[in-house]
Amino acid sequence: MAEPTENFRVTAITQADPRTLAIRWTDGRTDTFDVVELRRSCPCAVCIDEWSREQRLKPEDVPDTVRPVRIESVGAYALKIHFSDGHATGIYTFQMLRAMH
Amino acid sequence: MGLFSSVKDKLSGGPARIVTEEQVKEALSKVQDPDLHQDIVKLGFVRNIVIKGDKVSVEVNLTTPACPVKEQLKTECETVLKDIPGIAHADVTMTATTSAAPRETNAAVTPALAGVKNIIAVASGKGGVGKSTTAVNLAYALAKAGSKVGLLDADVYGPSIPRMVRITTLAEEGGPNEIIPPLADGIKVISVGMFTQASDATILRGPMAGSVIKQFLTQVKWGELDYLVIDYPPGTGDIQLTISQTAPVTGAVIVTTPQEVSLIDVRKAMSMFKTLKVPVLGVVETMSYFVCDGCDKKHTIFRSGGGERLARESGITLLGTIPLDPRVAVGGDEGRPHVAAFPDAPASQAYIAAAGAAAQQLSILNAQNSGVLNQFAVEWKN
Repeated sequence: MAEPTENFRVTAITQADPRTLAIRWTDGRTDTFDVVELRRSCPCAVCIDEWSREQRLKPEDVPDTVRPVRIESVGAYALKIHFSDGHATGIYTFQMLRAMH
Repeated sequence: MGLFSSVKDKLSGGPARIVTEEQVKEALSKVQDPDLHQDIVKLGFVRNIVIKGDKVSVEVNLTTPACPVKEQLKTECETVLKDIPGIAHADVTMTATTSAAPRETNAAVTPALAGVKNIIAVASGKGGVGKSTTAVNLAYALAKAGSKVGLLDADVYGPSIPRMVRITTLAEEGGPNEIIPPLADGIKVISVGMFTQASDATILRGPMAGSVIKQFLTQVKWGELDYLVIDYPPGTGDIQLTISQTAPVTGAVIVTTPQEVSLIDVRKAMSMFKTLKVPVLGVVETMSYFVCDGCDKKHTIFRSGGGERLARESGITLLGTIPLDPRVAVGGDEGRPHVAAFPDAPASQAYIAAAGAAAQQLSILNAQNSGVLNQFAVEWKN
């Protein structure tokens, strides 16, 4: 047998409303994400200090008006969001997204 | 003859008995695919049923031409068909259409890979375990079984594939941002070695090396492939990450030698794939043993059972144990992969079996993953 996958993957990804992203996982669960919240919790090295893991990004600096421009898959394990403020370095692993709920 | 056939006719209900397609399907539904755990009729493998009197011919279309249980399935089909009353001859043709890793086609992030059904990573924790040799021979074994195969040498700093498959030409430019991969025995091959002279070292900073690999994945005209085999550089670094972020790698084959020191690094490679959510198809153990030509005794030069132990403790498949054969190395140096040069040698047979086992794991995975989006892109609407 191939390695059993407790690895959840995406079976559907859609824009639910102007600021909500919906992801359906392989186990059938559907999670919704506030895109502004996603921008505020960006895991990239600019937003989170690589050594101390402290958040450098001040969540209040992210305006409520920020939106994704494009969301795309990264390999088989994550997605990347290009935001309207030009920020696009965050790689949101499926594991991290699952854990947000 | 007369008496015998009339008895047979009575037993089978007379010579004019008409066998229907339904009966044939019903009989074949007794045959199970051992991996997918479903009968071959439900799986949609059965095609072109032709019944002529007491003769029936069917086509069984599998998910990979490299299927290791092909012959077994064929025999089983013939047996159940001949058991149908009124059928004396059964002709079963085995064909294959490679199942593809599911993906969203209209939003392919990397269009160059849109026609590639499966991407196999061949990786190892450390160098010198025979990873490139394994990648080449697996690719040749898959092609030999009738699959369309590509081979990408991702070892930017030590590209050995061109020599192993005897490609001396440099890669051609097909157009702006398009590279045409040269062919080696029908296999599309790309390597950094095709862009430099063999004796020149590739001296590149990490980001540059990564962008070369990215180009290989996004700008090479791969076309329609059943399997793209990627020979990873050893270790768990930048390039490995780049590939996994650029291409939807379907599964990984890990190569190791039997010693514990090699296995330590293999576990690291496996943990990397776990993080990147690339399923590990199994382990290939190289240099497993040497059969002495004088005494026919199996000598386990680098200890024994390492791959097996690893497979057992991590619950993954041991795809094959490849014996040491000096001809494998010679073939690599001379550009004649062992599987092509000595198809009947034990090491070739082991590679062919390993390729079959890997293809089998991929078919299982693709069946399990139906519905999964491998590549996607969502444009946000305001």
